[in-house]
Amino acid sequence: MRDDDNRLRALMLAGLAGDGGAHASLLRALLPPLRSFFRRRLGGRDDDVEDLVQETLIAVHTRRATYDPGRPFGAWVYAIARYKLIDRYRRSGRTTALDDLPELADEFAFDDASDARSDVDRLLETIPEKQAAVLRATRIEGLSTAEAAERLGIGESDVKVSAHRGLKALAARVKDSLR
Amino acid sequence: MNSEDLIASLSQDLRPVSRHALGERLGQGVIAGGLITLVAVVFWLGIRPDLMPAMLGATFWLKWTYTISLAICASAAAMRLARPDGTAGGWLRLMALPVLGLALIAGIELAMTPSTQWLDMWLGNSWTICSRNVFLLALPIFAGLLWSYRRLAPTRLALAGTSAGMAAGAWGATLYCLHCPETSALFVLTWYSLGMAGAALLGRLLGPYLLRW
Repeated sequence: MRDDDNRLRALMLAGLAGDGGAHASLLRALLPPLRSFFRRRLGGRDDDVEDLVQETLIAVHTRRATYDPGRPFGAWVYAIARYKLIDRYRRSGRTTALDDLPELADEFAFDDASDARSDVDRLLETIPEKQAAVLRATRIEGLSTAEAAERLGIGESDVKVSAHRGLKALAARVKDSLR
Repeated sequence: MNSEDLIASLSQDLRPVSRHALGERLGQGVIAGGLITLVAVVFWLGIRPDLMPAMLGATFWLKWTYTISLAICASAAAMRLARPDGTAGGWLRLMALPVLGLALIAGIELAMTPSTQWLDMWLGNSWTICSRNVFLLALPIFAGLLWSYRRLAPTRLALAGTSAGMAAGAWGATLYCLHCPETSALFVLTWYSLGMAGAALLGRLLGPYLLRW
């Protein structure tokens, strides 16, 4: 993944210097990972996928001044793609608070790790929102009960109960899907 | 449009982007807004007549140190949050330092003043309008920052809005010092801070709506 990131970063830097060819190669190289990123999360609505891919490419282009050459390129693209995805969710009425999402991956994140992560995301969407939020905070981000309680604005005992119920609900879902 | 065509059209006539483009864009927004605020201070509120002698004294610089250090912290946070993968990086928390410093000075000031004068020190002559003025003077700068952000890519909209509002409030307060003759640290700590906090709150509330892209 490192090599990939360095290759894309080199294209990005050339594009920032005004090299249109490098810029086109960069955008073209982003097509496959962006498509699979959105496809995984949108569950097969192909028009929407291509829509979001294009929106992301346009943002990568028009907002290229926000890339910090000192940082990994993948994390930057991933942050844009993720933002576009969340924006789409919000527009279609699904509520996802931006600031509450898990921290960014600092590697080029269109890889197997994000595959596993999207499975977890999909599962968490099937249980009540509070339980999912508690599990994200305590099990994925590794916050303590007290920290999670403070972050979510609920009591500590509520966190414990929600985590317990959430895990139980998840276990039931997984068992169901294996049947 | 098909994605290949889109890429071709985006790559045509590609203009180079300076390494400092992001900072320049934010700087332009702050300066453009700041000029409008400055005009408002000069023609609406009026520069304090004793500005020159006041600038030789310590109080004026104490006020500026307070507002400018807050403005730098908030601007740095706003700049980091303009990147999609950016965080505030501790700059917002660092704002506690000038606040605590000024609180300490206000405490010393109180200890050295008879308690019968405390209320006058706290309220000064302009407590009823100070916070409001700071808040109003922040608005052009906030608008300037919103303009800057239109080309940038904040993803934590509430936090970016808060930082932009706070930066606008603190820069606005800095310019307000050119008008405001109040001298007590307690006054500044209360009423200036209240105005700046109002601007930050405005940013917090509007950010999620106005910063979307």
